[in-house]
Amino acid sequence: MTTQTASRYTAEYSKIEAKLPGGSLPWLLELRNDALKQFSGRGFPSLREEEWRYTNVSSIEKNLFEPRLEPSDQQIDKDWLKNYCLADCWQIVLVDGYYSAELSNLAGIPKNVTIKSLNELLDADAEQVEPYFGKAVSIDEHSFVAFNTAWFGDGAFIRIPAKTLLDKPVQLLHVVTDPNRLAATRNLVIAESMAQAQMIETYVGVDQAYLSAAVTEVFVEPNADLTMFKLQCESEKAYHFGGTYVKQSRDARFSHHNFAFGSLLARSDIHVDLGHASECNLNGLYLGIKRQHLDNHTRINHLEPYAVSREVYKGVLDDRARGVFQGRVVVAEDAQKTDSEMNNRNLLLSNDAEVDTKPQLEIYADDVKCAHGVTVGQLDEKSVFYLQSRCVDEETARNMLTFAFANEMVTKIKQKSLHDLVLAEVLKRFPQQGITQDWL
Amino acid sequence: MSASAKEIEQLIGKEYKQGFVTELETDTFPPGLNEEVIHKLWKIKNEPEFMLEYRLKAFRHWQTMKSPEWAFVKFDPIDYQAVSYYSAPKRKEDGPKSLDEVDPQILEAYKKLGIPLDEQERLAGVAVDAVFDSVSVATTFKSKLKEAGVIFCPISEALREYPDLVQQYLGSVVPTGDNFFAALNSAVFTDGSFVYIPKGVRCPMELSTYFRINAANTGQFERTLIIADEGSYVSYLEGCTAPMRDENQLHAAVVELIALDNAEIKYSTVQNWYPGDKEGKGGIYNFVTKRADCRGENSKVSWTQVETGSAITWKYPSCVLTGNNSIGEFYSVALTNNYQQADTGTKMIHIGKNTRSTIISKGISAGRAQNTYRGLIKVLKGAENARNYTQCDSLLVGDKCGAHTFPYVEVKQPSAQVEHEATTSKISEDQLFFCQQRGLSAEDAVSMIVNGFCKEVFKELPMEFAVEAQALLGLSLEGSVG
Repeated sequence: MTTQTASRYTAEYSKIEAKLPGGSLPWLLELRNDALKQFSGRGFPSLREEEWRYTNVSSIEKNLFEPRLEPSDQQIDKDWLKNYCLADCWQIVLVDGYYSAELSNLAGIPKNVTIKSLNELLDADAEQVEPYFGKAVSIDEHSFVAFNTAWFGDGAFIRIPAKTLLDKPVQLLHVVTDPNRLAATRNLVIAESMAQAQMIETYVGVDQAYLSAAVTEVFVEPNADLTMFKLQCESEKAYHFGGTYVKQSRDARFSHHNFAFGSLLARSDIHVDLGHASECNLNGLYLGIKRQHLDNHTRINHLEPYAVSREVYKGVLDDRARGVFQGRVVVAEDAQKTDSEMNNRNLLLSNDAEVDTKPQLEIYADDVKCAHGVTVGQLDEKSVFYLQSRCVDEETARNMLTFAFANEMVTKIKQKSLHDLVLAEVLKRFPQQGITQDWL
Repeated sequence: MSASAKEIEQLIGKEYKQGFVTELETDTFPPGLNEEVIHKLWKIKNEPEFMLEYRLKAFRHWQTMKSPEWAFVKFDPIDYQAVSYYSAPKRKEDGPKSLDEVDPQILEAYKKLGIPLDEQERLAGVAVDAVFDSVSVATTFKSKLKEAGVIFCPISEALREYPDLVQQYLGSVVPTGDNFFAALNSAVFTDGSFVYIPKGVRCPMELSTYFRINAANTGQFERTLIIADEGSYVSYLEGCTAPMRDENQLHAAVVELIALDNAEIKYSTVQNWYPGDKEGKGGIYNFVTKRADCRGENSKVSWTQVETGSAITWKYPSCVLTGNNSIGEFYSVALTNNYQQADTGTKMIHIGKNTRSTIISKGISAGRAQNTYRGLIKVLKGAENARNYTQCDSLLVGDKCGAHTFPYVEVKQPSAQVEHEATTSKISEDQLFFCQQRGLSAEDAVSMIVNGFCKEVFKELPMEFAVEAQALLGLSLEGSVG
């Protein structure tokens, strides 16, 4: 069954093959062929795979999403899009998976910084891409990576050269404008040694069913410092797969803030390989309402000694939503003095909501400090009572506490425009919409 | 530090004391497994009709199943046709009627193990059922227990004498097709203990079963069934040892516990099967399915296990909390050394309202061992106000071992409260230094710290066995503490 429906996708592949970028590059062609073989052999991930046991993607197989063959010339509702274009940021906009020069705004970016469409760069100067492409994640990881590798049409290539500090964040805005569209994008982000930058990935789309499948490979070179935000606000009918695969070199610092709010079915992968004495922070917030299914998958590989990792993921699930958290920390045999903490907190607000969480520690070194914690529960009755005793009615008290629970992750954002946007998105999904914000 | 590391090495490396072989004449089936073997087994055990059907059904189902591969253990595929499924010491027509008739060599073997089959002995408060390879050779204090109405006998005897009772409960917690090893066990189980505590009875003494594998090339497939009727209480303990051999031997047991309204079962295990030698050669494969059903309201089941033996342990004593207000507990110390592998933990399935579960798991990994905690907390929709607390700590001794924690939490009920915490660390040098500075040798310091680490679990064991467990821990750790 799996392979059968995958074959619907593979059958379509021959139609688009010629249009895909990099057709003249033997290395890419070979990789695409391997990926296609891998995908047609395995199909989309099934519940039988341990890493996918809580997330059923069969509806993606049933809908045959179609990629656009070339950049869209369709007019996009700019007023709507403006809501998501952050002030004080450089923007690179991908429409239905293709770079749009018209919508992007890169004015004033330092000359030595490369921000380009991957498609164009593969035509013009593929040598810049080759050393990085497919190096942070292999097509064997799982079928979505293979699928993305075979199908991607465009993406962003961002390179911040050594010792460069970007004073404004770079926003990578993914927009899908058509129903039934497949937007497969592939992004590469390279922060060279001692560079410092912030990146914001934003995913939005029309209020229709579509599939957005993005893979982002990130390289944080020695002593570089990269902060990434991912704001996933896809339509509530959409399917989203977003994988971020990070390689951190010696002494590199990487922080990731993952806000999973949208989609009918969303899966996010954050995998980080840690080098010597590097530091990594993963924060996440997933808010599920209606029939949403939000799967958050993280893996931290401590490959070398002295690295530090911290991870906090919080979830609020209401209505019939289902939240999944899978977090895995692997400490390799030589990674002594590893220091790792992982935390997952979940709040269930409705009788029909569900949460499945699976934190894992896999440790092969002895001189380590590793801990993880998970909780699933309700609001603390004592806190509710405390507020009630201060003349706050029960409903407001519960809303305040739920908001405070989620807001902890939002307050970590220092960039004002992004903070306000995320806060607005949180409030939109808040139980009892439009609650007065006088206590905010 | 290096000096203390050496002492720790010494501490962990002590020999397996129970590794002797008892020379006996035995009735042993030739290796191999087919329906004929099951017929033969059924006949030799003189079991009621329904058991043949039960066994064949399990066997047919087993043939369609595959050995599970998801556990974090590595071993070569087992050739199930090379194992003998029945081995018993030769004996007179009906088996021993009383202790005096038991083969003195077997008595001697148990004496050597420190298990008193003699009712006058030190552990006079404990009734023992001694299972030797495929059969139970003796059960002590039977008459005294009978006075209280408690049935404590080998399961093969129970099948002959209380067939209705056994039929009612056998397989009701672990169905024949539950998993690969449970199906195999259901098809070929030979002996084990049967306990029935009638309504309102508090069992007057501790019950215990001592399992001994002696014969080579056999597997031990034991089956234990404990039923605690309304308002009763029982504390049960099992222990196990085996000779040292270069070949791996299979031990696939099934234990079913049933607690009815207001009943409580306390089940403790000190597992000390032969763990294999320093190079990882030999040892027992311990693939066990243990499950308790808290069927009644306010029932309680508590599992306590100290796992120090076996080359591979694959074991998840679980509780199905069906009754409202029922309680499940799991306390575990799993120690692995050299090339031992353990994948153990528990499952708590919350079905009834106000059900509570507590899990305390301590894993200690030394040498080149791999120690995995794998647990599932599942809260179903109807389990209002379910509560779980889980704590798993791992201690690493040596830089070649691994400690892994794989908890699964699935919650479908918003009023449930589930907490899970896990830590992994090594014995801190500060702690060691502190103890040494107060005049303790490094070895004593390590043993003290390890015992302190496990204390929460040991305090759940019946007193005599807590002492044994502590000593065992010292022995198993020998030569590894660093």
